[in-house]
Amino acid sequence: MSSRNVLLQVARRGGSFLSLIKKLWQHPKGRVGLILVGLLVVVAVLAPVLAPYDPYDVTQRAEKGLRPSLEHPLGTTITTGQDIFSMLIYGTRVSLLIGITTGVAIAFLGALMGVMAGYIGGFVDNLIMRIVDVLLVIPTLPLIIVLTGLLGRSYFVIVLVFVLFGWTGLARVIRSLVLVLKNSNYVKAAELAGASRWYIMMKHILPGTSHLIIMNTTLTCAGIMVAEAGLSFLGLGDPTAISWGKMLAEAQGGGALLFGAWWWILAPGAGIFLAVFSFMRIGIVMEEIFNPRMKASSSIYKLFKHLNNDYLDEVFRSMDDEESADPPDGLHPAMSEGGHD
Amino acid sequence: MTDTVLEVRNLKVAFPAPGGVIRAVEGIDLTTSKGECVALVGESGCGKSVTALSIMKLLRTPPSVSRIDKLQLDGRDLTGLTERDMEHVRGKDMAMIFQDAMTALNPVMTVGKQIDEVYRRHVKLGRKEARKRSVRALELVGVPEARSRADSYPHELSGGMRQRVLIALAFACMPKLIIADEPTTSLDVTIQAQVLDVLRSMQKDHDVSALLITHDLSVVANMADTVYVMYSGKIVERAAALELFTAPRHPYTQGLLASVPKLSDDKQAFVQIPDTVPHPMHKPEGCYFHPRCSHTTDRCRQHMPRLETLEKDRQIRCWHPLHQERAT
Amino acid sequence: MKKSYVIKRILYAVFIFFVVLTLNFFIPRIGVSDPAERYYPPQGAMSEIEYEIIKQYTREQYGFDVSTFQQYIRYLQDLAHFDLGTSLQAGSPKVTELIGQRLPWTLVLSVTTLLISLSIGLLFGTFAAWKRGRWQDTMLLNASTISVALPAFFIALMLSFYLGFELELFPAYTNPNMVGQFDWSWEAIQVVFNNAALPIMSMALGGIVGYSQTTRNSVIAVTNEDFVITARAKGLSHTTVLYKHVLRNAMLPLSTSIGMSISGLIGGAIIIERVFNWQGMGTLFLEANSTSDYPLMMGIMLFLSAFAILANLVTELFYVILDPRVTVGDRR
Repeated sequence: MSSRNVLLQVARRGGSFLSLIKKLWQHPKGRVGLILVGLLVVVAVLAPVLAPYDPYDVTQRAEKGLRPSLEHPLGTTITTGQDIFSMLIYGTRVSLLIGITTGVAIAFLGALMGVMAGYIGGFVDNLIMRIVDVLLVIPTLPLIIVLTGLLGRSYFVIVLVFVLFGWTGLARVIRSLVLVLKNSNYVKAAELAGASRWYIMMKHILPGTSHLIIMNTTLTCAGIMVAEAGLSFLGLGDPTAISWGKMLAEAQGGGALLFGAWWWILAPGAGIFLAVFSFMRIGIVMEEIFNPRMKASSSIYKLFKHLNNDYLDEVFRSMDDEESADPPDGLHPAMSEGGHD
Repeated sequence: MTDTVLEVRNLKVAFPAPGGVIRAVEGIDLTTSKGECVALVGESGCGKSVTALSIMKLLRTPPSVSRIDKLQLDGRDLTGLTERDMEHVRGKDMAMIFQDAMTALNPVMTVGKQIDEVYRRHVKLGRKEARKRSVRALELVGVPEARSRADSYPHELSGGMRQRVLIALAFACMPKLIIADEPTTSLDVTIQAQVLDVLRSMQKDHDVSALLITHDLSVVANMADTVYVMYSGKIVERAAALELFTAPRHPYTQGLLASVPKLSDDKQAFVQIPDTVPHPMHKPEGCYFHPRCSHTTDRCRQHMPRLETLEKDRQIRCWHPLHQERAT
Repeated sequence: MKKSYVIKRILYAVFIFFVVLTLNFFIPRIGVSDPAERYYPPQGAMSEIEYEIIKQYTREQYGFDVSTFQQYIRYLQDLAHFDLGTSLQAGSPKVTELIGQRLPWTLVLSVTTLLISLSIGLLFGTFAAWKRGRWQDTMLLNASTISVALPAFFIALMLSFYLGFELELFPAYTNPNMVGQFDWSWEAIQVVFNNAALPIMSMALGGIVGYSQTTRNSVIAVTNEDFVITARAKGLSHTTVLYKHVLRNAMLPLSTSIGMSISGLIGGAIIIERVFNWQGMGTLFLEANSTSDYPLMMGIMLFLSAFAILANLVTELFYVILDPRVTVGDRR
């Protein structure tokens, strides 16, 4: 199937956001993803309620370096005596917040740029693509390191750089799709009817890209969360916030490895894994939903494994000609020899 | 018939899918003789291409499943052959011309090399010898400046030229059977005529048996000796070409012929066979054509007609075959 | 026709480089009117006058005493001589010198990781494509999802813990004397690879899975193309079809991926180097950051960008060799 057809399939408008959620729910893997994401959101929002201790509260510190126990399911940090389990819960906030805000911001910027580049074409297209080329060669991690030095360590700087550099991927993909959509009949009809460029872009082209945007954004969120973990690990995020990446840095720096406190490393790592994995799951399932041809070839194999030989024989037998009594019209019975029995 | 080249008996192909089975080919027979051009005609989706691929044993078992009673090429039984054995048959004794020459050729290999491959594989020629033969093959199909053209890449050639390359590829080792799957469908009309000429002369000059798969009746009229009409996986009529065009007996064939626009003085409305081809997974009860046929009776709705053989080489699958006056 | 394409791409690369280096020039000047304050931030115990004198000295030393435009010209002139600036470190070493010292160490990690990931990835990927739909293929898909969700530095920490501290198979921290004591002797080389083992493993795990998945997708996409059926219809042997037709075409999108990996080769190891305290470009950059050594930082950034541009250019030109269909003005 040509890539053009693939893009068109994805663009086909099929139902609203709610129906998308419903479809995700029906898909077994999608359901898992949705549950996980839902869980994470709940944990992030209700962190103060769910966490046994408030890691920000200095008075709630316990003895340093405690091993996991009933009071402290994941023990306490060697450096400060904070409850690791609570930190784990609070860390959800940073990851989800950064991941989702960045993802949404990139969705807006990337889609806008992609639609403009694809639809308006010409100089605008050229300009945008050149900018993309420049942005792509600048190493983002060193840049963030420099900027946090210049502008202060904060998640705002991180999100800013992510968005300023991250829209390129989505823009390119959207642009390809728009180039195809541009030539579709309903767009041409609108142009002939005299609709303004902006109107066409907003009302016709953009909705056609909605599926692609949602799918891409979900996967982007996942990627951002990984990147944020790395940056927090390097200490570039808000020094007062609790994030999983920072927990890992503290763990290593605080001697978790030396003292064998492997749970201090495993916990935030598991958190990162869960968050990223659940978003990725949803993104991949979305791709399957929007793009049925991409359905895992494993389903064909499973189908074959479970094929009943008898069933197949039955199918093939049904293809044989019947042994009927009377010949067709106008044919002498002696003449007909018939096909196979 | 001692000069039978291809014999296919009771070929059945199915594609299991979620929700059912796609019944692509439902028990068809085909024969071709030396030097004969046999056409397999039908609309898209009737199973023609699947038939072609099955004869070459190119279908893979997932996703398809097939059964066949007999598959013989020039007396040699192909059914028991392993894949490795088949590799020595394909390209050498039996070859295929595909529909879209642009996608059918390897884009990163020169066309010369792609023909060389065949010679080096089947005739065990060295590089230089193979190139000589390839150039000759290109000349035979009418490619000008064959020697330099051999070093071109497929995208550098025109559509008609590419199709000629495919023909050269197929005829390279002078196989006994050529299967041409819609060889001219992707070409402009003027180029079509040229390519068909090449195909016909190659076939006739070298006494090669051809199985021509197409939905284009004008191509059939031009080239075929015998015609099989296929509908939804089944053969519904078989006749000599002239017979078929002048006195079709199956309503579907009649409909096909009628829907070809004719140049004439009286302006006629476009004739169309109503409705569309049945979905390969949900076929109707009884005769597959009955929903679109104007002569349907209860019998047609309940029972699938058998394929009856009439006078020599005439076959028909219909409860109410048409009786036509011989038209000129 | 091809030649003008090549020239076009080279000119374009130069243009991009120009834009990047201009950005590079202006970035440290963000937010301050007087760059000298950046290089020498105000210290508490100094009086106003003392600070002014020091700033003036800094300005002269680093050429901020002239207008910004003149600074830019000098910047360009320096670059023409491959001078990326002077570091603020003790002894004022040239940036290029420092990069020269540390770059090879980063390359040891990156290049080895790339080679391992590529070779194993290509094998696994083709295998998974062959076993399309079966459990081996599904396993790869699952591995891919999991691999993305497990950041390399986390794997690094876990490896560091289990293989380093618990099992003591490899050093969990790089031996700080390794660089100084290196003398090209066989023992020294062994020490290097002993220390490099864990960092490389951390990065290679993700790399192998990534390349496997890309290869697998590419091979499957190609196998579904018509010309593969033609090749089989010609009766070519299974191996010929695989190598000359399938893989040869699957390499095309793959080489683009490889190109992208190469451009991120140097900067990508920063976090891993930090985990293991490996003395490469990454740690150099982080050190520069902690001492606000802007000349060094921006010099490294420019170097990384230039490297990325060069890598992209080479990949594009290589692609032209691989794919005869590419002509002037082609955008993939």
